Amino acid sequence: MASIEFQNVTKKFGDNTVISSMNLTIEDGSFTVLVGPSGCGKTTLLRMIAGIGPQTSGRVLVGGRDVTDIEPGKRGVAMVFQNYAIYPTMTVRENISFGLKNIHMPKETIDKRVKEACSKVGMMEYLDRKPSTLSGGQRQRIALARAIVKNPEVFLMDEPLSNLDAKLRVQMRVELIELHKKLKTTFVYVTHDQVEAMSMADTIVLMDGGRIQQMASPSVMYKDPDNLFTARFIGSPSMNIRRMDDSTSFGFRPEHASIGPEKEPNAWFTTTGTITAREMLGSETLYTIRDSAGNATVSVPEEHIYLFGSDGNRVRAEDAEYETLMEKVRQQH
Amino acid sequence: MYKKRQKVGKLISILIKIILCVIFLFPFAWMCSIALQTGVESSRAPITLIPAVPQWQNFVTAWKMAPFPLYLRNTLIIVAASAALQAAVMIPAAYAFARYEFKGRNLLFGLILIAFMIPVQVTFLPIYRMAGKLNLINTLWPQIIPHMTNAFGIFLLRQYFMQVPDELVEAAKLDNASDFKILRRIMLPMSKPAISSVMLLSVIGLWNDYFWPLMMTRSDEVRPLTIGIAALRDTEGNDSWNIIMAGNMILVLPLIVVYIFFSKYIINSFSYDGIK
Repeated sequence: MASIEFQNVTKKFGDNTVISSMNLTIEDGSFTVLVGPSGCGKTTLLRMIAGIGPQTSGRVLVGGRDVTDIEPGKRGVAMVFQNYAIYPTMTVRENISFGLKNIHMPKETIDKRVKEACSKVGMMEYLDRKPSTLSGGQRQRIALARAIVKNPEVFLMDEPLSNLDAKLRVQMRVELIELHKKLKTTFVYVTHDQVEAMSMADTIVLMDGGRIQQMASPSVMYKDPDNLFTARFIGSPSMNIRRMDDSTSFGFRPEHASIGPEKEPNAWFTTTGTITAREMLGSETLYTIRDSAGNATVSVPEEHIYLFGSDGNRVRAEDAEYETLMEKVRQQH
Repeated sequence: MYKKRQKVGKLISILIKIILCVIFLFPFAWMCSIALQTGVESSRAPITLIPAVPQWQNFVTAWKMAPFPLYLRNTLIIVAASAALQAAVMIPAAYAFARYEFKGRNLLFGLILIAFMIPVQVTFLPIYRMAGKLNLINTLWPQIIPHMTNAFGIFLLRQYFMQVPDELVEAAKLDNASDFKILRRIMLPMSKPAISSVMLLSVIGLWNDYFWPLMMTRSDEVRPLTIGIAALRDTEGNDSWNIIMAGNMILVLPLIVVYIFFSKYIINSFSYDGIK
């Protein structure tokens, strides 16, 4: 088990600075998800931890040890790649044991650990198969077993579920959460999918343009976003945002708005519009309302309104502008 | 209507393939035929396609006419040594060009491509003089050393190595594999078809090489099969094509066996077939 620390880390590709003097601590034993749109630098961070794309300057610490000059294989980390990176010419057994053989572990120990890892991912009966005969989900499990077998202090995962079909992805999500509980090691997981982040993480690091936008637990991320970017990124369907005339804005979550023929008595913000689409999802139904003239009235109570300043940062109740902005929201319709 | 057009298209395609096969196979078939003809049959016009009585003893005559076991031994030594050295130079070089960023990489690679384009007729004279200075003329060495590398092979293998996904190499690095191990356990097994076909092409070239040994040698002691077969003409004096063709059959037969053995890989060699 190990914590991970980035100290003043900068990464450049040629003249292009992707990450500049970043500081970040990932707690020991946490399931941390780095999430953000493509090109935000999340995979770059992961590759720095692994040592396969080292930082340009600054320090990366794994378990308190500076790993800058340590080879990828000696950092105590294991990685699962997006396309699994299974060695195609080796059998499942050879794939899983490759890393252990390379450090000259005794054969009996290797056999024992390969079997343990394989049974953890439920792939015992496939040990002597070639990867080309396995499905995507099975290959993913082999990639997991190959990481587990090394007993790493840190698990790194780079969008490991993105090549799986929707149903399998949901199932693997649960399996990964259970695996984390079983192994109790640090998981660092990269994804662009906020649903994956919300469902699996105990800490989410939301990134954009090489900067951390917010780092918090999923529920804080959702209920108390620090800025417009977080508010928009986290949550599906995403938060309704309306811009006010002076480039400040406010927003509310869809589930906190009520739709009816009349304005609700406790409404702070109301608007009327036409329902243009309805999506029945089973446990919930999504309505798309275009506001202008119409017969559907949307009402949002005061406590569910989020305010954002002109810089995009959240304006909270303790901030000076709060009252004036709130008053302004009331005048919107 | 559509079905009919499809059928006609297929027919034309088969026809073209048959014509191409005939064009390519005819010289070979003719060689086989002449090798089994009598001397009279082989010099008659119009040509004889099927010998009246197959003259199997032509092979015996050819074999006895020159020191073939010696030639064969020399050919085998030259081909095996050159091919082994080529593999030892070509594979690491292709790996380095495909996987490392280093200063002058493109320049060096350009030089290799240029070397690939220069015909041997241009380079043989300086090499001949070099071999002369080293007292190597009329030994096996100048028939082996100049073939130690294979520019085309480096080029082809580099392309192949470059197609291996980066993640595989990175995963192997995380698995504590050294560069040598990555090459041996991942790159080579994945590139088997390419390596086999490069090696096969190279073996064919070495086996059939005539010009180079002719330049570098004077005596039967160090000459390969190709020169021996050509010498049949001189010893026979009177253009016994049936005997010369029988000698040629002896020359190409081992290659055909090797080709049949490797053909599976050659067909795959120009398309990468890792797991997707």
